[in-house]
Amino acid sequence: MTMRRVSETLCIDKENIFCRGCDAPIGAAGVAWKAGVAVRVTPLDQLRGMGAGISNKAVLREFSCPHCGCLLDTEVALPEDPFLDDIVVP
Amino acid sequence: MTSVDPITFSIIRHRLFRVVEEAVITLKHVSGSAITNEGHDLMVSLYRADGSLLMGGVGFLHHLTSAAEACQSIVRRFGEDIEEGDIFLLNDPFTAALHTSDVYLVSPIHHAGRLVAWSACFVHVFDIGAMNPGGFAPDAQDIFSEGFSSPGIKIVSRGKLRQDVWETILNMVRGPEMVALDLRSMIACNNVARERMLALIDKYGFATVDSVCAALIDRSEAQLRARLLELPDGQWQSRQYLTAKNKDYKVVLTMIKKGDTLTFDFTGSSPQSEHGVNCTKWAALGGLFAPLFPLLCYDIVWNDGVIRPITMIAPEGTIVNCTRPAPVSVATVGAIQSVNNAACATIGKMLSASERFADEATAVWHANHFAIFMFGRNQRGGLSIGILTETFAGAGGARTFADGVDVGGEIPNPISRMANVETIEATFPVRYLFRRRLEDSGGAGKFRGGLGCEMAIVPHDAPDGGIHYVLSGKGAAFPMSDGLGGGMPGGTNDYIWVHADLDSNDLFPDTLSSFAGEKEPISWGVFPLMGRDGLYVRWNGGGGVGDPFMRDPDKVATDVLDGVVSRGAARDVFGVVLDEGRPDRAATDELRKSLRIGRLAGRAAE
Amino acid sequence: MSRPFYVATDVGGTCTDTIVFAPGRPVILGKALSTPPDFANGVLDSIGSAAASMRCSLEELLRQTSLFVHGSTVVDNTILTRSGAKVGLITTRGFEDTIRITRGAYGRWGGLTEEALKHPVKTERPPPLVAPDCIRGVAERTDYKGAILQELDEEATGEALRALIGDKKVDAIAVAFLWSFYNADNERKVRKILQRIAPEVYCSLSSDIAPVPGEYERTSTTIINAYAGRVAKTYIASLEKLLAEAGYDGPLMVMQGYGGLLPAAEAAERSIGMLECGPAAGVIGSRALGKVLGDKDVIATDMGGTTFKVSVIQDGEIEYAREPLVDRFHYTQPKIEVVSIGAGGGSIISLEPGTNAPRVGPRSAGARPGPVCYGLGGEEPTLTDVFMLIGYMDPKVFLGGAMTLDHAAAYASFEAKIARPMGLSVEEAAVGVYRVAAAQIGDLIHQITVERGLDPRDFVLHSFGGSCGMLAAMFGAELNVKRIVVPYTASVNCAFGLVSADIVHEYSTTKVLPLPVSPDTVNAVYEPMIEKALAQLAKESFSGDKVQLEWSVDLRYARQVHELTTPVKASTPLDAAGMRRLVSDFEALYERKYGEGSAYREAGIEMTQFRLTARGLMQRPKLEALEPGGVDPAAARTGTRRIFVSAANGMAEGTIYDFEKLRPGNVVAGPAVIHTPITTIVIQARQVGRLDGYRNVIIDRVQAA
Repeated sequence: MTMRRVSETLCIDKENIFCRGCDAPIGAAGVAWKAGVAVRVTPLDQLRGMGAGISNKAVLREFSCPHCGCLLDTEVALPEDPFLDDIVVP
Repeated sequence: MTSVDPITFSIIRHRLFRVVEEAVITLKHVSGSAITNEGHDLMVSLYRADGSLLMGGVGFLHHLTSAAEACQSIVRRFGEDIEEGDIFLLNDPFTAALHTSDVYLVSPIHHAGRLVAWSACFVHVFDIGAMNPGGFAPDAQDIFSEGFSSPGIKIVSRGKLRQDVWETILNMVRGPEMVALDLRSMIACNNVARERMLALIDKYGFATVDSVCAALIDRSEAQLRARLLELPDGQWQSRQYLTAKNKDYKVVLTMIKKGDTLTFDFTGSSPQSEHGVNCTKWAALGGLFAPLFPLLCYDIVWNDGVIRPITMIAPEGTIVNCTRPAPVSVATVGAIQSVNNAACATIGKMLSASERFADEATAVWHANHFAIFMFGRNQRGGLSIGILTETFAGAGGARTFADGVDVGGEIPNPISRMANVETIEATFPVRYLFRRRLEDSGGAGKFRGGLGCEMAIVPHDAPDGGIHYVLSGKGAAFPMSDGLGGGMPGGTNDYIWVHADLDSNDLFPDTLSSFAGEKEPISWGVFPLMGRDGLYVRWNGGGGVGDPFMRDPDKVATDVLDGVVSRGAARDVFGVVLDEGRPDRAATDELRKSLRIGRLAGRAAE
Repeated sequence: MSRPFYVATDVGGTCTDTIVFAPGRPVILGKALSTPPDFANGVLDSIGSAAASMRCSLEELLRQTSLFVHGSTVVDNTILTRSGAKVGLITTRGFEDTIRITRGAYGRWGGLTEEALKHPVKTERPPPLVAPDCIRGVAERTDYKGAILQELDEEATGEALRALIGDKKVDAIAVAFLWSFYNADNERKVRKILQRIAPEVYCSLSSDIAPVPGEYERTSTTIINAYAGRVAKTYIASLEKLLAEAGYDGPLMVMQGYGGLLPAAEAAERSIGMLECGPAAGVIGSRALGKVLGDKDVIATDMGGTTFKVSVIQDGEIEYAREPLVDRFHYTQPKIEVVSIGAGGGSIISLEPGTNAPRVGPRSAGARPGPVCYGLGGEEPTLTDVFMLIGYMDPKVFLGGAMTLDHAAAYASFEAKIARPMGLSVEEAAVGVYRVAAAQIGDLIHQITVERGLDPRDFVLHSFGGSCGMLAAMFGAELNVKRIVVPYTASVNCAFGLVSADIVHEYSTTKVLPLPVSPDTVNAVYEPMIEKALAQLAKESFSGDKVQLEWSVDLRYARQVHELTTPVKASTPLDAAGMRRLVSDFEALYERKYGEGSAYREAGIEMTQFRLTARGLMQRPKLEALEPGGVDPAAARTGTRRIFVSAANGMAEGTIYDFEKLRPGNVVAGPAVIHTPITTIVIQARQVGRLDGYRNVIIDRVQAA
């Protein structure tokens, strides 16, 4: 089954979505995938490169492949906000 | 419709571009204002008789679609009362404009007595009579404090200037002579567009020119639809946070691509604010086209054809579709900018989902205009009002094949630039302490985002001891230059009032840390810059692309040498171990391996 | 021994052209291929070719030459091929990034085409000429009025220089401090220190090279000059040696980008001065020709193999570029404004997918592989192939018969790639492409004139370069210019410009003076410049009536950005009436260029820059005019053939003429083609071409009966 790129870090076939770093499947194709991966949450004011006025509420979410630890996606969020979902139709 | 041979098509198309070009030149020439000539804060476009966009030029791209709405609204409102030689002024944001300062002048073009086209242009006028000078009024609580505002008024009637309208507008603004120049430049611009358009029609006949116009639009539509068909179906989301006076808002976007259509759905965005960061629905539409044109339509003529496959959903009463009389003066650097960034992010994700178009994808550029206006008595005793043009300097988002361009500008305005330090020091009673690229401001990634800068100014030879400035606090609390595909967001803006320590003798500190004094982060309002105090500003970098642990360690080593990335970031963020400046490959592999494991520690999903 | 000859040679990217002036006879032309990177060799080839047509040897010619005037693309070439010196930059601490930041996106989009501007994701800044690790900031500061706020930290400077020279091994040092054009003290101190530490290292100060406001452009300029470093010096030295060995030991004058000459010794010290001197010479040539013919308003067009260049001469005045670029680098030097687009004889014709609308360029086949019909390997049809397919070029008569053009190959390539996809015959398609090219060029020229507030109908069009003569009648008619001149020296116009130029030294002082200003204040600004100029010219043996000083002042309205260089027409030093005249001239010029109602006078007027153009007037060789003969060109007629005739909207019969057999006074009625040994001139229907006494072809509309 041919794999198709769906982002810098992910690809899909008819059924699954895979980490491009290690080819491991991390979820089903055609649906939100972030629920099935590792998420690390870091308050923005702990990140390098941010200024003095940075919000003390917002966080950086890092979504990584649970098998190889490759970083798949990032999001800036207020903790109460849901994940951003990117879904490519298989 | 006459069918036109490819030769004539080619010649007429080329000439239409030149009509717009010559009108832009006229606009810049007659106005002579810095914001128009240096900041290129302008737009000139041609529209068909029904007000649909025919040919959009470069300048600030948000305006192409709202000026189309302006034409269409004039058509609806004035109907029979549109005559040859008329020029209409429109700046009401709830009708079509982005905010009151961005004034549209819209002219019908008649040939042999029949309405054949429209030309429209805008400049950000010198002042519009709002609560604060320069047009950004952060304390306005409704549109009624944002200056003169018209849903459409005839300023030139059959070639003759309407003195009553002219004098009424100028009566309400500060610096009326400068505003008069802005208006005159737009009148001249439209006159040139009309003359050249008529010359074209005279030469080739209305039927042929109109056929070419229709063909250009159909062709653009066909090209964009074909491109959309080559991109995968799906949905992509982005979210931008913005702050106004200590309250947080968000713009949420779900972009859906299905077949040959693209929908931008802003459902989930915050309700409108009581502060002027809101934008109206026309502004939101303009805001999403600003990245769409250069990212998806880089080789397609920008006209109504590009607009046809696109739909926007923006629920009423939200920050991206506010209802009257909500304040909107800060829209262009508020909600509209958030819409720019959100659309840039989702379009970038969609392009990145395609093998063929991945190299067109980009992380978010220069997410935030900080738009600081300075005013005060200058060294020669006169009054200076102006924008700190560093707001136009920007930073490029990373691409999938290269880093973002440092201080590389922005997507909504392809030809922006900032002034020389010497130009500002000659016009305002200030002295720069430094202006340089800012380390670690580019979003980390396999390819890093372009750097933003930092700068600081202090008063110098000011008759009143200094000046004042207006701040709308953009981009400090939340990073807005989103990364793509694992890339980090670019750094944020910062505005710091340095209360100088008068015991220090150092008048030439060349960093913020060496500038002695209390450093107070500020964000919203009018502030003084007096005595030996300083204003420090840093602006955002572009977003990165890809996992920072995939960045070539040699590149990271060069970044450190070049002051782009700090030694600490090289290690913590990029996972690179440097030994006397050169990467230790084995140690780097080890470190990256362990850092990757560290990512897996936070396992629980929501 | 008498030395009656003047020789001028211009080294361009492809060709090196020569003109020889000999009293009492028409000018002699010579041409040879340029020989990069050692351009000097090509110079002798070119002079040799002129000598050959004079039936004498190179040495014989040179031994009888009293003056050699020269322009060369050698410095442009250094920048373009990135073969300059390793540069170190010393700048004000805190502003080390000026040259990296390039005023934001300005450096990213500068020099890009319109198409590229709409595609930002694919754009970059050009790699800088100074390596990032060769920039050092030192503590020093001057302010907006030239006051020194912070003295130069000499110790830190010494350290920085030692690090750059010793560790980084730079060959040249550029120094650019804020506001140095108002007070150069700190920059000069750096040079003193350098002279102590490493006197052999080339040094360039921004206050010397470009003493004008705007630190980004000024720094960039200084770096470019340091980068080009000793290129000019080395080149000029080698040229002088070669000429001496070939029998010439007279003076050598070198063209600068502002259209004036400098003696070799001066030119050698300022490589940056030679940038774009070729096109500058072209404009000077056009102005000189205009003067001879009595035309003060000229649009000069030059079409070569790759680019089409346009410049405007208004009332005999040449225009200076406001934001000059070399390659993609900004710089600020007095430079003649020449606009170019990628449309030349070698421009490749392609079809736009979807519409099949034809496009001319911007890619070019250059000289190699060249047009298909040259038979040098070119496979893509070019504009030159189109000229041949529409009957303008004769395959048997190219370059005086020296080269036969391959009509069949061009026909086949064009048919397959262009005509058939368009569903047209080769003839129809070629005609279409030609019309597109003419229209696009016409539109560009129109835009350029509009940008200056001018109307093409008030101008005479000069057509230079190899290919222009085949298009000029067409786009000139479209623009409705007064008339079109295809000069005899069209193919060597830059060389012609060299002999029409004077020794020119440009001086300027930046000073912001809001009106009202007393004439004495202005005169006081000029005094030191005049003293310097006169001393310099005296050194070069110019004095008395051989010296001409021209004043011009940049003025602007206080609240607006546009500055206009306004020539001072009143006598100098100025008096009150002269000042008033200057101001009213400025206002008239401003309104004409920027439009009615564009001036905000109430904000006041400021003078911002005071310029002195100091000329050492050169003995100009007299252009010999031949006696006009009769009107009838029959003796030159070689036959007829089918050519594209615009008025017929297709191919029709046109008469063909041999230029060498035409006599001054002959009038050729269009449609017609005139073949010269180097170029081709096309006259459309309802036009006539008259050969004047200088053998220029003057094309006019036929007067309605």
